[in-house]
Amino acid sequence: MLAYTVFFDPLDVHAVWWVSVVPLALGISIAYKAARVKTFEAFWRNVVMMMVQILLALIGLAGASYVLLEVVVPMVG
Amino acid sequence: MAANGQSDRLFPVAGVLAYALPGLGYAYLGEVRRGVLVAIGVLGLTLGGLLVGGLDVVDRQEDKWWFVLQAGIGPVAWGVDAYHQQDKGLSEPRITRSLGRVNEVGSLYIAMAGMLNAIVVIDCAWRSSGRSERRGSRR
Repeated sequence: MLAYTVFFDPLDVHAVWWVSVVPLALGISIAYKAARVKTFEAFWRNVVMMMVQILLALIGLAGASYVLLEVVVPMVG
Repeated sequence: MAANGQSDRLFPVAGVLAYALPGLGYAYLGEVRRGVLVAIGVLGLTLGGLLVGGLDVVDRQEDKWWFVLQAGIGPVAWGVDAYHQQDKGLSEPRITRSLGRVNEVGSLYIAMAGMLNAIVVIDCAWRSSGRSERRGSRR
């Protein structure tokens, strides 16, 4: 097995790629809230709230897609 | 004129600086803390994408539409792409191709960073006169 070189080789996370959604949501929340908040008093609370909202929305979309493809489409078809 | 009666003003230097390095535009406008947090978010996403997918995820020639979004980061994206294109020309490229989900996730990270920085560039370059003078508090 060849040695892994950071940035030159991709991470071997094919089996757990979906975990990467969490840091993605965190990064989006930090950058977006940094540009939008009025004051920084509750900045990190706002970031966590937005991150949770993104993750819940993605879980909801995944669930809805699953129901559509695995339940509704077979019933119609 | 903005809806609240304040006039909109252009800050082209702040816009250029925001594109040159994420967060620098806010620092120029006196909002250093905002700039640092934007830099953490945008550059953190960029490094995350490069870590997951490797340098292969920024490719102006093979992934043109991803790069349109990624270019919002500024010179960082152009620099990574220039290095990647140079590496592809070598007889034995050092950058390993990333495939499947890992490539998609890495590309998505950097595309999101680019789109967020585009928002930041617009916010720095074009703002109401009252906002540009307030430090650390808006909206």
